[in-house]
Amino acid sequence: MTSVTHDHHHAPASPSGLRKLTAPGWYRVLWTTPLVGFIGLGIVGLIRWAADWDPIWKSGPLATVGTVSFPMGLLIGLGGFDFWTYYASGKRTRPDSHDGHGATSWRDYFRINTDHKVIGIQYTVTTMLFFVISGFMALLFRAELAQSGDQYFNPQTFNVLVTEHAILMILLVIIPAFAGLGNIVIPLMIGAADMAFPKLNALSYWLLPIAGVTFIAGMFAPGGGPSAGWTCYAPLCAHQPMGNIFFNMAVQWGGASSIMTALNFLVTIITMRAPGMTFWRMPLLVWANFSTSLLVVLATPFIAGSQFFVLFDRVMHTNFFEAAGGGYVLGYQHIFWFYSHPAVYIMLLPGFGIISEVIAVMSRKPIFGYRLMALSLLAILVLGFSVWAHHMYVAGMAGWLRVPMMASTLLIAVPTGIKIFSWIATMWNGKINFNTPMLWATGFIATFVIGGLSGVWLGAVSIDIPVSSTYFIVAHIHYVLFGGSVFTIFTGIYYWYPKVTGRMYNEKLGKLHFWMTFIGFNATFFPMHYLGTQGMPRRVADYAPRFQELNAFASIASYLLGASTALFLFNMIWSWTKGEVVGSNPWRAMTLEWQVSSPPPTFNFDEVPQIVGGPYEFGVPGARHAILGSAQAEPVATGGH
Amino acid sequence: MSAAAEAHEHHGPPPIHYSSRINPAVLGIFLFIGSEIMLFGSFFTAYFFDRIVANPAQWPPLNEAGVPFERPWFLALINTLILVTSSFTIHWATVSCKKGNRAGLQAGMVLTFLLGLTFLLTQVIEYHRIGFNTNDTAFAATFFGLTGLHGCHVFIGLLILLVITIRAFRGHFSPSAHHGLEVGGIYWHFVDVMWIVVYVTVYVL
Repeated sequence: MTSVTHDHHHAPASPSGLRKLTAPGWYRVLWTTPLVGFIGLGIVGLIRWAADWDPIWKSGPLATVGTVSFPMGLLIGLGGFDFWTYYASGKRTRPDSHDGHGATSWRDYFRINTDHKVIGIQYTVTTMLFFVISGFMALLFRAELAQSGDQYFNPQTFNVLVTEHAILMILLVIIPAFAGLGNIVIPLMIGAADMAFPKLNALSYWLLPIAGVTFIAGMFAPGGGPSAGWTCYAPLCAHQPMGNIFFNMAVQWGGASSIMTALNFLVTIITMRAPGMTFWRMPLLVWANFSTSLLVVLATPFIAGSQFFVLFDRVMHTNFFEAAGGGYVLGYQHIFWFYSHPAVYIMLLPGFGIISEVIAVMSRKPIFGYRLMALSLLAILVLGFSVWAHHMYVAGMAGWLRVPMMASTLLIAVPTGIKIFSWIATMWNGKINFNTPMLWATGFIATFVIGGLSGVWLGAVSIDIPVSSTYFIVAHIHYVLFGGSVFTIFTGIYYWYPKVTGRMYNEKLGKLHFWMTFIGFNATFFPMHYLGTQGMPRRVADYAPRFQELNAFASIASYLLGASTALFLFNMIWSWTKGEVVGSNPWRAMTLEWQVSSPPPTFNFDEVPQIVGGPYEFGVPGARHAILGSAQAEPVATGGH
Repeated sequence: MSAAAEAHEHHGPPPIHYSSRINPAVLGIFLFIGSEIMLFGSFFTAYFFDRIVANPAQWPPLNEAGVPFERPWFLALINTLILVTSSFTIHWATVSCKKGNRAGLQAGMVLTFLLGLTFLLTQVIEYHRIGFNTNDTAFAATFFGLTGLHGCHVFIGLLILLVITIRAFRGHFSPSAHHGLEVGGIYWHFVDVMWIVVYVTVYVL
């Protein structure tokens, strides 16, 4: 395999015959997955036999090890570890080989690919697939909730659907969608040819579908799926059907993927910036991903820990959170929220970066308060670690802890407010172009302000206590994560679509998608504030008849959301081949990714660009962001390739 | 890095411009260690909750026979010394490599690997004879949790040491190019330092 010549830009010459089974790829996956998978299960049996434990084949340990060993077999088959194996055994490796770069056919998206642009597309398409899957789950349980009484699902199945919807939306859609968009644009924006660790990048993408498939497999595990809610509170979670083991392990895969990507982003941003690209000249999207990645690297291990503990409590019968054995039950919630509150910012800060890009470009004005925009990201990052227990006001924790948590929660509204007002000030007197990305960006500000304000209310102990575990919480998190994060993801997808594909999406369909989503979203979730204050509890399949009308209304509106997503997918797929071909810089933006062709060349830049100014100096006479090498001296807004 | 610019009809990427003096691999391993410290942090947090916040009558608690669980602190102390020694031997190997002394590099790596292996095997035997199991109260949970998590890191560290040792015998690493050795060494030092914290917390306090 090492002897293959450097025929880069094309997949290594397809092997034939038996070589097909040994070369990295899906043929090798066919035998490595069962081989490694069953070896893992065999080791479990061997240990249990040697230790004289009965029964030798026990479902808990088998599921735990199987959810590691089968995916490892898949990764080995795909060739995720080939480079490191050669490197480790001292064989000749191909330093900086580029044969894994670029994509010439759809097949190249289904293998280990080291090109950050290909990985970005892999990420984004995967997340959209899971967006459809988990959105469909939501439509299913909205059908159940359209009427009071039991119609389609029993409470167990209902809870499985709710749990899976939430965890997939968080770990398989929002967080990796930002990783995908970041992968595509960060190296371009800072003037690098690729990420710092391309092979690690390829590997971290492939952990994502593994996490997703494991989550979904958990639904069909013998005994039943995970139904303890996405928070998976101990000790409930440790006494769930076996599907919960799949849930715990899938969180580990997703978490590992997210840590590896964040680490890669950080090293790339710190060490690979083009000359002249100081931290104060970086586009705000890069700043946003820089802060997010710090959060991911430091906080994600805590969710890994929390899932390990409940898994141990179940499989190894430990007593981390079992009161009967001297464990501390609330310890789980503290450890869990110490990740999962910062996770809220992991799901928002990159979106803030996207919004900053789009608002400055579409308003044709320098971003208002650039440095404060960057510093407020860091302020959110630091404060984000100090608010976790506001999720636990009614959990029975020490009463005095509520007050400092309330204070720090309210404090977070300050840096967030700085960002909102800076965006508005950027638009003020701007020459605003209300195209699809800008519609999404402004729509985001409207919905996110509602979600942010209800967050401030919930931060106050006296308001939080009566509405805890009601639909008010459901309304709040959807205003923050759908009206916030998902709106920014759509903003980013529309904004960079012409860069990634070289073609423009259909503007009319894009606008229709926005209005359908905006109306459908508000109609679905706004009534839930009222339902919550009236006392409708969350996570129940049935409810009192007095909540009937608004629930029916929300269910009908949610189907409008489903239809709008279908429209979006059609627009994306259709425009990819049939859309109007546009030049390299349709938005007349100044950041580096728009100064190269669309789609960008394999190595982004022919020469390392020289950065000479800020990224948003619109309307400033003579201002330039970067000087590119002669080969790319292509005037702005003329045709690309 | 750019040495691989293959002479072909197609040019590769432009030479990489590094905006920081720190090597990407070294920065990467430091960030990874930061993440690892937080993972240990979550285990220490669980320990803290089970020991302080849940407020048991005494620590270690009483076992079924009515006496406190026995922690083999002396054996673990000897094991600690073994692991700390291995930190010095890998440092010796790195210094030898930088001076171009291959025999020193090879001997240092072999010694480090054997010391690490001794530590891990001692821990396995300790688990076997310790007299309590994972299901014996929250004390046992945190004991096996922290030492087990650390044991996993020693195992991963041993794999890395094995790789470095093989490469040292294959003639890799030179006074000017030894990032693989350095990065592995940083990780191994981290494993050692973390053990001292784990030891003091779990066996002594």
